[in-house]
Amino acid sequence: MIKTEQLSKSYGQFVAAEDISFEVQPGEVFGLLGPNGAGKSTTINCISGLLKPSLGEVSINGYSVLSEAVKAKQSLGLVPQDLAIYEDLTGQENLNFWGQAYGLSGRQLKDRMSTVLQQVGLESRAADLVSTYSGGMKRRLNFACAILHEPRALLLDEPTVGVDPQSREHLLSAVENLKSTGTAVLYTTHYMEEAERLCDRLAIIDHGKIIASGTLAELRSHMGEKDLITLQGDFSQVSEQVLSDFEVIEWQDDSIRFMAADAASLLSDILSRFGKGQVKQTAVQQANLESLFIKLTGRELRD
Amino acid sequence: MGKLSMPLSVARIRITRVLREKWGLISWLAIPMIIVFLMSLIAGTGGGQLTGRLLITDQDNSVVSNFLSGGFNQGPMAEIFTTELVDEQQAATLMEAGDASAWITIPEGFGQAFLDNQPTRLQLVKNPAQNILPQMVETSMALLVDAATYLQIIFSEELAVLKPMIEESQFNDAELVVLTLGVKQQIDRLEETLFPPQLELLEKPIEQLPDETAQNQITFGLLMFPGAIFMALIFAANALAVAIWDDASNGVIPRLAATPSALGGYFNGQVMSAMALLGLLATVLSVLGSWYFNLPLSQLPLMIVWLVFSGLVIWMLFTALALLMPTAKVANITINATTFPLLMLGGSFFPMESMPPWLAGMGQFLPNGFLLKGLKDWMVRGEALTDALWLPLLLGVAILLMFWVLNRMLLNQLVHKV
Repeated sequence: MIKTEQLSKSYGQFVAAEDISFEVQPGEVFGLLGPNGAGKSTTINCISGLLKPSLGEVSINGYSVLSEAVKAKQSLGLVPQDLAIYEDLTGQENLNFWGQAYGLSGRQLKDRMSTVLQQVGLESRAADLVSTYSGGMKRRLNFACAILHEPRALLLDEPTVGVDPQSREHLLSAVENLKSTGTAVLYTTHYMEEAERLCDRLAIIDHGKIIASGTLAELRSHMGEKDLITLQGDFSQVSEQVLSDFEVIEWQDDSIRFMAADAASLLSDILSRFGKGQVKQTAVQQANLESLFIKLTGRELRD
Repeated sequence: MGKLSMPLSVARIRITRVLREKWGLISWLAIPMIIVFLMSLIAGTGGGQLTGRLLITDQDNSVVSNFLSGGFNQGPMAEIFTTELVDEQQAATLMEAGDASAWITIPEGFGQAFLDNQPTRLQLVKNPAQNILPQMVETSMALLVDAATYLQIIFSEELAVLKPMIEESQFNDAELVVLTLGVKQQIDRLEETLFPPQLELLEKPIEQLPDETAQNQITFGLLMFPGAIFMALIFAANALAVAIWDDASNGVIPRLAATPSALGGYFNGQVMSAMALLGLLATVLSVLGSWYFNLPLSQLPLMIVWLVFSGLVIWMLFTALALLMPTAKVANITINATTFPLLMLGGSFFPMESMPPWLAGMGQFLPNGFLLKGLKDWMVRGEALTDALWLPLLLGVAILLMFWVLNRMLLNQLVHKV
């Protein structure tokens, strides 16, 4: 349904996306994970036709985004990262406008407006100006505008940034609902809990490249049964030999990250290897996407 | 209808948003009207009729100087100016207070110098706070001086006979008869040159001029009125052009680029909304102006159509300028920086008739300048419709077509600027 093949986008010497290939099937949510500037939005913009790829192919519902743009776009819904609605219009007026942009009109448009307003929980506020909405309500309306025409493929670019828990729940439920009706969803986020809840398959992207991909279980297997331990303190005088029997990911004067199986039972032994006062803080993270990302890149997702 | 639904939807959204922003709309209408009102006050007229006060100090008090000062009390000048004979001190006080448009001093010995065919000088003091009225006095004086020079050349012999009579105040009947006959013979002789027969043909259309046109005297307010409507259109075009950048900055244009409608429908919708809003402004202001200046209603429809066309040309140019800029802020600054010279040079703040000729010449090459001039030539000066409007129409259509294509291209590039 959504297919990219060796997609690359460069701006002069700077490569924003390189050799990105994946396919999202109907009824599947595919997550694209990565920190800010990793290349997620560039990939989304190439898929939606806003950017022309430097290399590679993109197709939606079997139509090439480059050579059959109109047909491809008819099957596509886009929820951009930033709000793209008119705040001086009502929710209803916004939906009416975006519905017409996707070719809906008359009775069909009215019915769809009513359905999506219900889906995102905004029926009671539809006649109010968007400027009177909370941030979360605006995000929900932004989402509703993209699904009016029942797209077969949906791109969501960090749709829950800055959203309150109630609105987040509305949005995540709506995505789950779309998935159940056979929509192919490409979902970018840096919230691990969202990715873990929604995504059937994931790709981790960093510096414009996919560095790992697979189902959640497959990605977790990269970590084995090990936990991620982070120590903070003063390690400028400590030799790396102290942790030679562990898989060290990052060693800095003020922090050390390393992997250990059954960290809880080993923690007292580990701390005894350091001098008094050297370790000021300790954190143990069980194997998850966040720790996988750190293992793969040495950086946190929210960096 | 399918292809029109997106442009219509875009146009409806834009119009709704503009009408909801009441103060913006009111400012487009009110600012030009306030400026015209203030300019009218500055020009010394509270109403639609242009009137002024002309002071004359006659230090000569001769037959010739009386003849000259009497000239300002006759014909069209008498309709515009109230002439007052005052002494030097009164005139200075009135001018100092700004209570008069101009002050002419006829020096002692003026009449004698005229009869002796000697050079002499008239002194004109103009009120610097006014523009048109003092200029009219200056032009009239130049015409009178020319007329006097021709009189001296053509009737030199007759003036030589008349001179001693005036000096001695003794008029001999026989000499007056000879003088009259001499003037008659001279006029008969000149008639062949000055009044060729073809001039008679031109008398007929003048006689057939409709009463309405004769009633429409050119007043300062009437000269300002079309320019003021252009001012409203320029303000509106400015705001509507910058609004496209707002749509880009708030993410609507990039998002639209990802829909099947893409940006073609969006731009055509902007054109339609600009036409509708400019049409609303043009209609309101034209109806008000036509009522106030008692213009013939038959002119109104074409006037509105021309104003919408002109506004659209200006909007198209502003939009291109805005879309060429790298950011919304730069676009805003550039459009505003362009708006005010256009208003000032293009005849909206000051009628071109009151500008120095070189400046008015420049203004007529600006888009709003030649579109406004065409309208005034037809509406105010009574030129034939085709003579007044065909060239501005041709240029305007060329601009619309060229910039429609350019703006469509620039709009696609705008997606990548935000």
